[in-house]
Amino acid sequence: MIETHHLSKTFDKFTAVEDLDLAVQSGEIFAFLGPNGAGKTTTMRMLACLIGPTTGEATVAGFRVGRDDDEIRARIGILTETPGLYEKLNAVQNLDFFGRLHGLDATTRNRQITRYLDILGLGDRRKEPVGNFSKGMKQKLSIARAVLHEPQVVFFDEPTSALDPESAKVVRDFIAELKSEGRTIFLCTHNLDEADRLADRVGVFKRRLIQVDTPENLRRTLYGQRVLFRARELTDAQIGALQALPFAHDVTRNGNSISIALDDPEGMTPQVVNALVAAGAAILEVRQERASLEAVYLDLVGKEG
Amino acid sequence: MNFSRVAAVLRREMQEISKSRGLLMAIFLPPLLITTLPLIGVGFLGRLIESEPAMSSSSGDLGQILQMMPELRDWTAGEVTVFIILQQFLTFFLMMPLVIPMSIAGQSIVGEKQNKSLEPLLATPIRTGELLFAKATSAVVPALGATWAAYIVFLVLGRFMIPSERVYSALLNPKWLVAMIVLAPLLSLLSVSIAVTISARVNDTRAVQQIGGFIVLPIVILGVAQTAGLILLNTTTFLLGAVLVGALDLLILRLGVRLFQRERILTRWK
Repeated sequence: MIETHHLSKTFDKFTAVEDLDLAVQSGEIFAFLGPNGAGKTTTMRMLACLIGPTTGEATVAGFRVGRDDDEIRARIGILTETPGLYEKLNAVQNLDFFGRLHGLDATTRNRQITRYLDILGLGDRRKEPVGNFSKGMKQKLSIARAVLHEPQVVFFDEPTSALDPESAKVVRDFIAELKSEGRTIFLCTHNLDEADRLADRVGVFKRRLIQVDTPENLRRTLYGQRVLFRARELTDAQIGALQALPFAHDVTRNGNSISIALDDPEGMTPQVVNALVAAGAAILEVRQERASLEAVYLDLVGKEG
Repeated sequence: MNFSRVAAVLRREMQEISKSRGLLMAIFLPPLLITTLPLIGVGFLGRLIESEPAMSSSSGDLGQILQMMPELRDWTAGEVTVFIILQQFLTFFLMMPLVIPMSIAGQSIVGEKQNKSLEPLLATPIRTGELLFAKATSAVVPALGATWAAYIVFLVLGRFMIPSERVYSALLNPKWLVAMIVLAPLLSLLSVSIAVTISARVNDTRAVQQIGGFIVLPIVILGVAQTAGLILLNTTTFLLGAVLVGALDLLILRLGVRLFQRERILTRWK
């Protein structure tokens, strides 16, 4: 649905995006992670045909950026960093305007406006000037604006940044619903927990693409797979018994807990448990350890310098 | 050009104008003042018209004007005075198509910059040409509407308030039709083009109006020069003025169109 080949953008002498090769599948939620100033918004703007690439090419929904911009704009929705709403107008007037720009007829406009305002919890405030809205309400209205015309591809730039936890959940559920409808979501975010929960794949980006994969694969690649065993009391003899196992490497003890890197956790965990029990350990807990996406992200971005 | 998109922008601009007290004042106050002040003045001078004796080219300060406009030679001093006052205000009518669009276009473009609403707008299928056309139209139409409405009201009320038939007839001179029908739209376009150009550089509506305010200077100078008898505004001068303003329109509009491009708006407009 979205493809880029050697996509770059330079402003005067500053390179914001360098040699980006990316493919986002149809119906996928792709999270684009990177620090401030990494070039995420510039990439999104290029893909939304707001600014042109300096070199390279990109296609969105089968149309080429720079050549078929009108076609692309008709098929995408975008939530920008700031809501950018018309504050003197009410919620309906704001959405109605964008519905008209997208060529929706009056019946469709009214239906879509009512539908999205209700989904996002703004139905009761529909006739109120947007200037009276809270930050979160404005953000939700901007999200409604981005999807009003049922675009194939939706670009979200920090969709939950201004929202309280309850509203953030409404928006996350809404994004998941968009995915279930088959839409492709390109999500720029700093919220790593959100990316972890929502994204099928993440791309870690800092001017150039550092790594792309599913959150799970990124963890596995960087940290391997570790299993934590907690016992009532651990003795040196029991630790020694574990270290003797040929498949157990990188054994780390922390009080009465022990963490072991295993190549095949499903197959090897019972053997570790057996070895510990045979050595006299009373096991209280066994669980697979998951590195946070934040740790993965910080590691990748840190290595990039 | 997709006119339904243009109409959508126009509709929204009108909705915003109707909710902005400042813009409503900017649209309605100048016509109100420029229409009522001269008529009130004429009301006070009514008696003067009847009482003063006939003029000659050697009589006082008005002699210079009579030399330029010999057709007024048989008029009374009062009639000539009233005529000059009305002429002066008719010149000021040409300030409206300059001042009003500057306020509307400045508010419209700088307002979008301040709201940061241009990015989501430019991500829709609207083309920059359509957006610029819609914004220009939304500024020009109320300005011309106000100018023409004020001119018509001025003529209608003048019919009752100007006691001299020949003074009133002089207001119907074709040069004013040229000024209103040809020059006023071109001046409006000039004002919008300048507003777009200035708006690209500033972030404050008042700055647009302050910088753009200088645009009325040529009209003020023309008015003063006419009152001082230095220049005679007639159909030819208005037509020449229209050609000059038309040329300026083309030049500044080209600059405005160059500035009003998606990428430039998003990356260079600060």
